[in-house]
Amino acid sequence: MVDLSKFDVSARIGSLVLPYPTVGLSGCYGSGAEFAPYVDLSRLGAVVLKSVTRRPRMGNPTPRIVHTPAGMLNAIGLQNPGIDWYLRHDVAKFAQTPCATIGSVAGFSVDDYAYVCERLAARSEIAAIELNISCPNVAHEGETFACDPDLTARVVRAARATTDKPLIAKLSPNVTDIATIARSAVAAGADALAVVNTVRGMAIDIHQRKPRLGNITGGLSGAAIRPIALLAVYEVARAVSVPILGQGGIETASDALEFVLAGATAVGIGTANFADPRAPMTILDGIVAYMAQRNVRSLRDLVGAANTGFANINQFEGDEG
Amino acid sequence: MRRFSDNPESFFKIWRKSLPVALSSPISAVVPTRILDRSEVARDVILLGLEAPELVEKVRPGHFAMALLPGGQAAGVALGIYEARGERCSLLFFLAGDRTHRLGALRIGDRLDLVAPLGNGFDCEGAQRDIAIVAGGVGIASVLLPAQALLARGARVRLFYGARTAERLVEAERFAAEGCELLLATDDGSRGYNGVVTDLLAREDAAEAILACGPTPMLRAVSAYAQERNIPAQLSLEEAFGCGVGGCWGCVVPIVRTSAQAPSFPPSDADGSDVVHARVCVEGPVFLANELRW
Repeated sequence: MVDLSKFDVSARIGSLVLPYPTVGLSGCYGSGAEFAPYVDLSRLGAVVLKSVTRRPRMGNPTPRIVHTPAGMLNAIGLQNPGIDWYLRHDVAKFAQTPCATIGSVAGFSVDDYAYVCERLAARSEIAAIELNISCPNVAHEGETFACDPDLTARVVRAARATTDKPLIAKLSPNVTDIATIARSAVAAGADALAVVNTVRGMAIDIHQRKPRLGNITGGLSGAAIRPIALLAVYEVARAVSVPILGQGGIETASDALEFVLAGATAVGIGTANFADPRAPMTILDGIVAYMAQRNVRSLRDLVGAANTGFANINQFEGDEG
Repeated sequence: MRRFSDNPESFFKIWRKSLPVALSSPISAVVPTRILDRSEVARDVILLGLEAPELVEKVRPGHFAMALLPGGQAAGVALGIYEARGERCSLLFFLAGDRTHRLGALRIGDRLDLVAPLGNGFDCEGAQRDIAIVAGGVGIASVLLPAQALLARGARVRLFYGARTAERLVEAERFAAEGCELLLATDDGSRGYNGVVTDLLAREDAAEAILACGPTPMLRAVSAYAQERNIPAQLSLEEAFGCGVGGCWGCVVPIVRTSAQAPSFPPSDADGSDVVHARVCVEGPVFLANELRW
């Protein structure tokens, strides 16, 4: 294995510096502890916790997961014990996690986000806060805060007022122009952006003639959405200058490097953990091997290196000139 | 309500004690194995024998494994551990979709990584001596180890086993050879009772305890039967899994939390209901019939 100490693979998210750019995503790596028997968590940049809401939530009826070609649909529905229980029983345990722990906040009103964010961010076990404004499985017809630049700004601004810890706004791919939403989140005070949440989708059982998910619709993840997520990162990186946590179907080091070259500072691994809990560590090793082969000393030198703009836009500019 | 077992070391008591911090079993690991043997025991039904000595030591009846597909790119497949003896464990599964076909394409000598053993299995330590095991379809893969454990302590074990056709009643003779009494049912009447296995169960003398694994409609019928007669029943549930280790909350089932559990079990809903969503992979896959609220 390559000597990791010779390479700088750290990733900065606001004031938080992750030693590694690989992050276990919300709802896909538990609190980290669930995966501790299988991996060395100290080799993970951070784990993003499952989203927590103001009140307890039962979540959606089952089936909540359907495996689909090159990915899967999920519709968990933000099952969680609510912020009161969470603070009293769960958060203290996160101090034992050998990597940074990023809290995730979800809600149904601007006030929900501010309330939960303030209480969670006040805890020393939590290094940063992800604002999950893009969960497709609890929304009315898929409408989430992240589908609207104004709502996005209001949530981020309200949460910003409650904490100085790094705030990461998690954006939705289910929008017409993600760059507009990204600008709005950053203008409202987001330190970083997670790009992207799942793509809305569904599956139908032709024998029973009904939708296969209990929630009818779900969020598609896995390799099936990778090109969609990659383009979103590319577009967001052109629109704003804050760090991007690139995510969506990353399975291998080469996938991760695509996201970095498109403009991601760090990469999130979600569904790939279900194929192999060791995926984040395998990806980290592969990133370092790539750097060693090409004599790249710092991962920062690769961030956005392939982000050279859009051919068709250049064309228009040329025509006008 | 009667409990299956008063043995303080029973799996159920252990998992209840461990709630809500029920993380994946501390004894589970990524286990590298090698395919020792492979046979197609019926059309589209594969039995894979694996060299996995360290796993044999740890496996208890009703445990399952996540089989990590070679090359990844799809979620692991959750499978009951069929046999565990000597240095060999085995997996028995139906070729049903892309992922099981990939698993079925493995050849002797190939490597296969498992995350195992997982879950809380069947409690086979109870005092009852007349046990009915009810299996439907691929559920048969999870009940050989409990049958062996029960037979080893001298219990009478009747296997009520249902499938669509005679050809699909795979491994029935194996259970007979172990010492189980066979009561078979097929949907088309091609072997045994012509009808569903739970109807066959209801026609026979009641057992003192029931263990069951199979499709959800069968388990619901077993549950109703057992509760009507106040027979303790343990059901191993089938549910679509994501991670298999408690990290994604994809595989839940509604259960009632008792007042004893309430202080340590997170509420699932704002209305303070005692019905909560428990994870099949961690709190299960085996549940007591009388705690399920489905």
